[in-house]
Amino acid sequence: MQTDELLINMGPVHPSTHGVLRFKLRMDGEIIKDCQLVLGYLHRGTEKLGEMKTYQQVLPYTDRLDYISAFPNNYCYVKAIEELAGIEVPLRAEYIRVLVMELNRIVNHIVSIGSLLMDLGAATMIMWGFREREKALQLFEMLCGARMTFNYIKPGGVREDLPEGFIPKLNEFLEEMEMRIKDYEQLINSNEIFLMRMNGIGVISAKDAINHGLTGPTLRGSGVNHDLRKLEPYSIYHDLDFKACSRPEGDSYARYMVRIDEMWESLHILRQVVDTMPEAKVISTSKYGVAPMTGVPSTVSTYFPRIFTPPAGEVYTRIEAPKGELGFYIASDGSTKPYRVKIRSPSFCNLTALSGMVKGLKIPDLIAAFGTMDIVLGDVDR
Amino acid sequence: MEKGGFRVDSVTIDTTKIKPVRKTPETAIEKLEDTGLISTLLAAREREGSILFSTIDQVFNWARLSSLWPVTSGLACCAIEMMGVAMAHHDIARFGMEIFRASPRQADLMFVAGTVTKRMAPRVKQLYEMMPDPKWVISVGSCANTGGPYHDSYSVLKGVDNIIPVDVYIPGCPPRPEAWLYGIIQLREKIKNEGYGATWGLDK
Amino acid sequence: MNAAEELKKALPDAVTKIGMQCNKPEATVKKEDLLDAAAKAQELGFDQLSVITGVDYEDRVEVIYNLFSYENKHNLVLKVILDHDNPEVDSLTTLWKGADWLERETYDLVGIKFTGHPNLTRILLPEGWNGHPLRKDYDMETEQFVTIGEDGDDVVSTDGSNLLRRK
Repeated sequence: MQTDELLINMGPVHPSTHGVLRFKLRMDGEIIKDCQLVLGYLHRGTEKLGEMKTYQQVLPYTDRLDYISAFPNNYCYVKAIEELAGIEVPLRAEYIRVLVMELNRIVNHIVSIGSLLMDLGAATMIMWGFREREKALQLFEMLCGARMTFNYIKPGGVREDLPEGFIPKLNEFLEEMEMRIKDYEQLINSNEIFLMRMNGIGVISAKDAINHGLTGPTLRGSGVNHDLRKLEPYSIYHDLDFKACSRPEGDSYARYMVRIDEMWESLHILRQVVDTMPEAKVISTSKYGVAPMTGVPSTVSTYFPRIFTPPAGEVYTRIEAPKGELGFYIASDGSTKPYRVKIRSPSFCNLTALSGMVKGLKIPDLIAAFGTMDIVLGDVDR
Repeated sequence: MEKGGFRVDSVTIDTTKIKPVRKTPETAIEKLEDTGLISTLLAAREREGSILFSTIDQVFNWARLSSLWPVTSGLACCAIEMMGVAMAHHDIARFGMEIFRASPRQADLMFVAGTVTKRMAPRVKQLYEMMPDPKWVISVGSCANTGGPYHDSYSVLKGVDNIIPVDVYIPGCPPRPEAWLYGIIQLREKIKNEGYGATWGLDK
Repeated sequence: MNAAEELKKALPDAVTKIGMQCNKPEATVKKEDLLDAAAKAQELGFDQLSVITGVDYEDRVEVIYNLFSYENKHNLVLKVILDHDNPEVDSLTTLWKGADWLERETYDLVGIKFTGHPNLTRILLPEGWNGHPLRKDYDMETEQFVTIGEDGDDVVSTDGSNLLRRK
């Protein structure tokens, strides 16, 4: 039968594009022949602003990149500064950083799975998920007074020590979470409709995934067991016992399952962190004149000065954020402002592969495959 | 009588000694005022509405503010808090607002939740224009209010009120769900005091 | 022997300088030989292209490629130095598909042309935007506005009168 090609525009205001993403679809009947993505509807110029502000002033902007999981963003930027200037961080601060980042990973995966299920037409999971998320946000609020944009991890440590009563409340949350993840698994994992929507949809092979620069759960869903926490252990991850979760299938269901597995691993990590957290000062008092790189001005003698001038140089740092590999490239010319800040955002790089994955599928499958990519538009467009 | 460690003595109130605050109208003017007609006229003149339709206005306003349907348009960070407000914990279903419409044609409230970039601005404006009257706009968060932290950026609009009229501004980055609820209550107050006789041209 | 030295040994003519980017080995490559050097690096096991960064240093423009080898867990930084006024370099899309968007973004924001790229258009800013924002000489004073054109695409102009309420 002769059919005409149909051009469909989806977005930028659409309930399942997770923000302001736009798809231009060329359809043959119901089959997607070509999927073109139009980005930039949330391009806020963070990188240019990074050049216009001082090092400390850039920190709040990192919160607003991937706003569902802001702690890893904070941490990655701070880690870049610390590597550039050779700042030492006390052990307890590293423990607190890992604690909040793993807690944030759980929150991220809850939101990710919840919105995936909502896009597929099942509203229960997002209701359940936000119930637990609210409890985690209360913990964040105890720490720094903010629910989403924290600005908590600072160069040289964290802003404040854990407040009184935080650990018992955290333990309560962990215990509840264990029960809840089991609930999620019971609700979703073997649901007939869910399986039909996810199995074999949006398949990407391991080789293609690496070539496209996929990272994080999206890569590990294709059977590549690469996790930066294992490959280049940063902070205290080399002391912790956990495994990188991966699934060989490479389809949407595998990517979803990796996220569920990662939540279990994060719970496991959090337990260890709580058990082994040392009692010590949080903010580093060591004068960072011990920098391995040369050129630290002698005027910098206190902990983290208001007028901070790192040595000239370049640094590229990356961590395993919940969505994938998050990287910060900072070029410094020795002044108070970064010369160039480049953000390697996981969502942006993961999206590269989407149009290849959905060719030959139908629009509802596009939603399913796209949902398992787990992107945030603030992170894509920056 | 012991209550919570404090001793409370019982008090007897002599009702005969309490004088009524309300004065009985004596002069003609006072009698007229007592009917409430003058205040109604003044209120009607204030909002350029009609005296005839003021009760109908009240009914319409009540109906409108009790089922505001927002359009689903999240722009940035604030949209996640919007999801938080809509979910079970904060629950805007108490205002009859839980039905987020995917189509602006069926919505009467728009939350501008997040940074309005230059590229998104014409879309936001189009979305607003597609909504049927009467319609309201709540600008949420520093970015939508003024540009916020991105005020210096080359690609961000400095306040959504540059392109569409805004009824309520909610500050915060992002605003807490409680702030959202407060903003919604403010909008309801605003709608409560609107007069539709004037907008329909019935007073002429 | 680190990865940059290995690359220098394999391609002595292409690599002009080796050094360190903080703690990662860095090889500065002649811009004509970038494609060869990158192919060689891929042969050496660098299977992930992590990021492409363009930096405008008023007298020159640098493009920095951060590579990573999942197999050997090694890092390698490739750097090319380009002419400031007409920065042009070969595209790596034939080697890494992930380079596609990263190069488009670098073109969009820094203004570096990647020859051989299949679809070198702006990605974050709309087509027709004047200037490349991450250039140091970008004009921050002139405001540019976007309106919707006939087929739904963006039209850029400095005149915002049909968008703004207050004239």
